Amino acid sequence: MSNIYAALEIGTTRTVLAVGESEASGRLKVTCHAEIPSTGVRKSQILNINQATQSIRSVLREIERKQEASGAKITIGNAFLAVSGQHVKADHFSAPVQVENARVNDEAINSVLRAAHSMALPKDRELLDIIDQDYVVDGMGGIHSPKGMSGRLLSLNTLQVHADRNRIQDARTAADAAKLEIREPLFAATCAADAVLEDHERKNGALVIDIGGGSTGYAVYIDGYAVTAGVIGVGGDHVTNDIAHAFQTTNAQAEGMKTREASALVTADDSSPRVRVEPGENTLMDNRTVSRRALDTVVNVRMMELFTVIRETLEDHDLLHRLHAGVVLTGGGARLRDVDALAAQTLCMNVRIGRPLHVDGLEDVDFPASFATISGALLYAHRNYEEHSILDGIFGRFFK
Amino acid sequence: MSGESSMILLGIGTAGSAMARGVSRAFGGGLRLVLADTDASTGEAGGPFALLGGDRLSGRGSGGDVVAGRLAAEDSVKILDEHLDGVRLAVIVTALGGGTGSGATLETAKYLSSRGIPSIVFATTPFAFEGEDRQRNARGVMSMIEDAANATFFLPLDKLVADSDNMQEAMRRAVDTVASGVTLFWRLVERPGYIRLDAERLRHILSGAGRGRFATVTAQGPGRASEVVDKLMRSEMLATSSGPVRSTLCGILAGDDLLLSEVGKIADGIRGAFAGLTFDLATVNDEATFSGRISVVVMLFESSGKADDDARPGSVMSGRRRKSKSALSVGPTGRGRFNGAEPTIWNGEDLDIPTFIRKNLNLDF
Repeated sequence: MSNIYAALEIGTTRTVLAVGESEASGRLKVTCHAEIPSTGVRKSQILNINQATQSIRSVLREIERKQEASGAKITIGNAFLAVSGQHVKADHFSAPVQVENARVNDEAINSVLRAAHSMALPKDRELLDIIDQDYVVDGMGGIHSPKGMSGRLLSLNTLQVHADRNRIQDARTAADAAKLEIREPLFAATCAADAVLEDHERKNGALVIDIGGGSTGYAVYIDGYAVTAGVIGVGGDHVTNDIAHAFQTTNAQAEGMKTREASALVTADDSSPRVRVEPGENTLMDNRTVSRRALDTVVNVRMMELFTVIRETLEDHDLLHRLHAGVVLTGGGARLRDVDALAAQTLCMNVRIGRPLHVDGLEDVDFPASFATISGALLYAHRNYEEHSILDGIFGRFFK
Repeated sequence: MSGESSMILLGIGTAGSAMARGVSRAFGGGLRLVLADTDASTGEAGGPFALLGGDRLSGRGSGGDVVAGRLAAEDSVKILDEHLDGVRLAVIVTALGGGTGSGATLETAKYLSSRGIPSIVFATTPFAFEGEDRQRNARGVMSMIEDAANATFFLPLDKLVADSDNMQEAMRRAVDTVASGVTLFWRLVERPGYIRLDAERLRHILSGAGRGRFATVTAQGPGRASEVVDKLMRSEMLATSSGPVRSTLCGILAGDDLLLSEVGKIADGIRGAFAGLTFDLATVNDEATFSGRISVVVMLFESSGKADDDARPGSVMSGRRRKSKSALSVGPTGRGRFNGAEPTIWNGEDLDIPTFIRKNLNLDF
């Protein structure tokens, strides 16, 4: 039996579950995926465990229904969890070790790796990802293969991405109640980056911005590895909320205006056709129209602010000028019309919408960028767990 | 705190306290009221009272000195803390021109802002015959109060009274007008009817509102809906304008006999006369108080007369910023679905609040 993996994303607007399988070619194929609207989640954090459990149950049932329709019959017992939310932080750690005989050998490298990977986090934090960056020998950094080099002190720079332990536990609790074991929590933005970046982009400097419903994750890659990452607690939901407030609509009406009409660029003028507000619960406000320029302005300032926050963050890290490969947008928020053009203006870089490059099976998806995170989580499992079955776990079952 | 209103009415100064008492009486109980004055005798009539500047002025009042009123409030504004638990919106009623009304109102609004409590100020400005000193006192603090508070209604007393009124009638009419406006507004929030104005929406409208105008009218009998619209059209309180209307807030208060067609007629009439970018409507159905008649309160908020000339296609981090009005001053207003979630703070701004509100953008396209 080939390896089968499942990945779960409990997002603010949707809960996604996907199943991937290792192919003989060594690539990963997404064999089944399902998504349902989320409830009980705000800004990427679970506010209602029961509702989140219901969402997970629903998406599990949907996957099983699809599997059955295709002749397979699998009940998923565990899944890798893609995590986002502004509780996710990234910090740099460096672990130095003394080098015996003043020459770096395998033992010294293993020792520094152990030291770097065993750095203790505060009790309220849980590790999502640890990224080995470069070695430093007697203060000289940027070294990828230190073996054989002369020096007395070897250290390894790492980027540790960690999250609020309670928030992760909330997801585990919700999943447990739905009879799904969380195998390992992963950082959503680096998952997305793993799925959409080409190797040369990682080396030349690239920024991945994963625009979710409740938050936006980002990860910066230079010289082949992630140098910084983070989450801003602003996502597509904020655009919807802004529209609802600006034009006094329901959230559903605002969501419709955002997805069908709005642009991240303000190109409309006063003579442009007005945007009709779809009828909703507020009957007195039915058959209204709003200015397209006003709508686009509301969206524009929100998204420009989001990109500005990211730009200023990267400027503080002195990284912006090193992103020669540009920016890749992923997530459902990347579907917003002209958002790539606005990002290009704000960040002064080439911008493209990402699609999962290293997985098969998503050809029928209408907006692949929104599957970048879940694909990346499956890729992580595929690359790191050679022997794995989604049937493992406390609730795993298999029906022939 | 359970069951207690999240709104508080603050009467500041002697005249402001009198108006606030009028509001309290008209509302008929259940209203969180606090009176604050530098004159201790204001508190003798009972009710929650905060003596401002007791150490500095010994409870004898500010003597019409705005600086003394400000200093008194600076000294002791924190004594309001005990009344502010759970408060999410403060309505200040005051009379400008005197020392405490002018000086202490400003400091109180600033203090509320620092605590993240949005404030709405209803302030009368002096009669012309009161003299240039009191007019100057009022003018001197109006713009500062505008900056400190979230919404302001400056009500010229000369417009509130009729030429035929004697002095006593004039004062009573002025107090009644302010009191009725605030009372109607309060009822909209505290006793909503079938068409409700979401509390967060209300806070949003008022928090970023700036200077506004308001009027209240009442009619009864057949044709009452047309009559209130007609009265509003002719209302001097709504007539003066320094710019186009940005948003309109309309409250209809009536008994159980309020017809949907009447609601539609009033809404259409007001929308037609004072078209703004947003129009919010709420009703109060109170059979005991309004049986047979309709009262309507209209609040208009204007756009700045200044053109938003840096708003240009493709790039709108532009927009007009209100001087010295920090983004946080709107507090949780506009957070909408993000209420209860951990806020996202960046450079001191709460990013959950809509960007266009924080940037104070003009959307009158």
